[in-house]
Amino acid sequence: MEEYDVTIIGSGIAGATVARELSKYKISVLVIEKNSDVGLEMTSTNMTLVCQGGDSLTFRPGTLHAELNVKSIPLWPKLTKELGVPFKRIGGLGLIRDKADYLKFLKMYSRAFKSSLKPDAPYYISEKDFQPLQFLDRRSLRELEPNINPKVIGALYDPNLAVTDPIKLTKALAENARANGVDFLLENEVKHVERKEGYFVINTDKTSVKSKFVVNAAGINVDRIAEMVKARNFTYVPTKGVLTDFDEETSEIFRHQAFYLPRLGEPHVKAVVPIIYGGLRVGIYLDFVMRSDKNLPPQGLQHNLNVIKEIVPDYPFEKHIKRTFFGIMPLTNAETGWHDFIIDIPEHVPNWINIVLGPAGVSASPMLGEKVVELLSMSGLYLEPKPNFDPSAKRGVRE
Amino acid sequence: MSGVPERVSLDVALKIINAMIKFAKDNAMLPGSYAVVDEGGHVVAFERRDNAPAATADIAIDKAWTAATMKASGRILEVITRGQGWRLNVKHKGRLTIIPGAIPIIAHGRIIGGVGHSGGSAEDDLKIAQAGWAAIFREEDFNVDVEEKLSLARRIANEVISIVRKESLKPVSVSVVDEWGNLILLYRMDNAPFGTLELARDKAWTAAAFRIPSEKVSIYYNGSPLSINWNERLTPVPGGMPLVYDGKFVGGLGISGNTPTEDRRIAIEAVKSLGLQVFE
Repeated sequence: MEEYDVTIIGSGIAGATVARELSKYKISVLVIEKNSDVGLEMTSTNMTLVCQGGDSLTFRPGTLHAELNVKSIPLWPKLTKELGVPFKRIGGLGLIRDKADYLKFLKMYSRAFKSSLKPDAPYYISEKDFQPLQFLDRRSLRELEPNINPKVIGALYDPNLAVTDPIKLTKALAENARANGVDFLLENEVKHVERKEGYFVINTDKTSVKSKFVVNAAGINVDRIAEMVKARNFTYVPTKGVLTDFDEETSEIFRHQAFYLPRLGEPHVKAVVPIIYGGLRVGIYLDFVMRSDKNLPPQGLQHNLNVIKEIVPDYPFEKHIKRTFFGIMPLTNAETGWHDFIIDIPEHVPNWINIVLGPAGVSASPMLGEKVVELLSMSGLYLEPKPNFDPSAKRGVRE
Repeated sequence: MSGVPERVSLDVALKIINAMIKFAKDNAMLPGSYAVVDEGGHVVAFERRDNAPAATADIAIDKAWTAATMKASGRILEVITRGQGWRLNVKHKGRLTIIPGAIPIIAHGRIIGGVGHSGGSAEDDLKIAQAGWAAIFREEDFNVDVEEKLSLARRIANEVISIVRKESLKPVSVSVVDEWGNLILLYRMDNAPFGTLELARDKAWTAAAFRIPSEKVSIYYNGSPLSINWNERLTPVPGGMPLVYDGKFVGGLGISGNTPTEDRRIAIEAVKSLGLQVFE
């Protein structure tokens, strides 16, 4: 049986980020993935947005969700440059319909100041990494987006907001980790994990490996894997999000990310994102479901069409639909809507780390690696930096 | 079970309770009381583990009732009442329980019930109740081993339910209390009216309090109708049965849903088939 210092279960954005971060140190690392390639499940059904300012600064302070997202902001340009992954600042618009919206945005705007922009704030980011947010009136909004709904009276403009390609990023992270010595075991589904004295035995459907530490980043199945060693100390509800892509011609009609604030009686997200290869991605129709649910609800497309029509009324979007698809993400504290990440060592199972990301997980990923390294070194893993770490090297994960 | 349930049936409620007990055991949390109520706030299933404080029973039920009838989680209510929610307790005879551990059961975009847990810290209660709600979105069923008393109570309740189903009687509520009259288990079969809940519970209490079948309690007050008002739980109606297992008195069983004579017959049959002492 092969032996590793750290085994990562799952190679979505979380698993790949952790693998790459750990490849900077002189330890043996294995990634187990049930699919034939990396980043094929939750990572692939993403809004492709990188929360870079107005939005992530307004996540509730004190949560991991806020901490990791804000601390990731300065890391993004360097990371994507090193790995050769597209990264484009498109700017975001928080659309204001009336005074109630304006007051809410004002609150978010001041919260951003309190939590990140003042030098003594808990997650301070310096001015060079961050351009200030600003309120736009009707006229300057119209100059930015001529086709926008005339009922919109203004917007909170965030110039920092960016888009990327999460699948390409995950592939690049995994390939870089592979080039720096991380092993990948693809097409192996973890069936059973045993907790022994000082190590774990991980049995997949094809083989068994021994590992001192385990990072459980199995996406929507984190809870099932954790239950195998009684390490599930969290709960989430699988949430289906339906997205619709519109073809490249629509990129000419709208150029910024834009969203409406949620309101009473409107439980679904109303947002549009121009994706990096052209076209618009609109959503999100949300529903709590079983994770095996494969049905595409017909209300999803209707909701998404209504959303884009509410943002840009005079354009025949029905003729430009490319595809409608859904992804399933884990939502923690779903009964209150106060989602937070889980990156945690359970009290009764040492040397085991559970990672649950869910919404805004891709945006927080650059900081996630460092967080896991911190937890591993706290658990007693000796991490000595590798002098020959190459941040840009690539090697296929199947080689 | 396939798909997310439309309403809280007894099967769904038991799945939720089993998931909560499994979560509590896996994380070495204190034993407590587990309650699931339907949309109207009435108990569908309740269980209390051995060694859990008896007083947690009604706290768990009231938490679940609060979540279902306020259509909000205890945590939200805490925030929106700015921690002053206890002041509202003067309403609803003190039932309103604005404490974490009260979770509404949300499915198909609406609230179909509530989950309540009591027995640990507020944080643990919340986590356990969340694990319960999330169980309705899990494909697998949760089988857990429970302690001696609760497992006996489960066997009795399952026996009662199977008798009712076999004989196509009206659906019943079944309740098991311990030797002190404190609630261990309370199930309400699908379509049993919620009025039967308290009746079943009180019959079990009456049988446990006097250690004789509930209808025979009149020997203590000589049949005088005026003298039964001294305890609001006292229900000298057939359908309550003391439970004596291995020669030891362990509690009481209460059934309600059919005519009292029918309820009594079900109780006797259930007790007989499990090898407990029979009181004719």
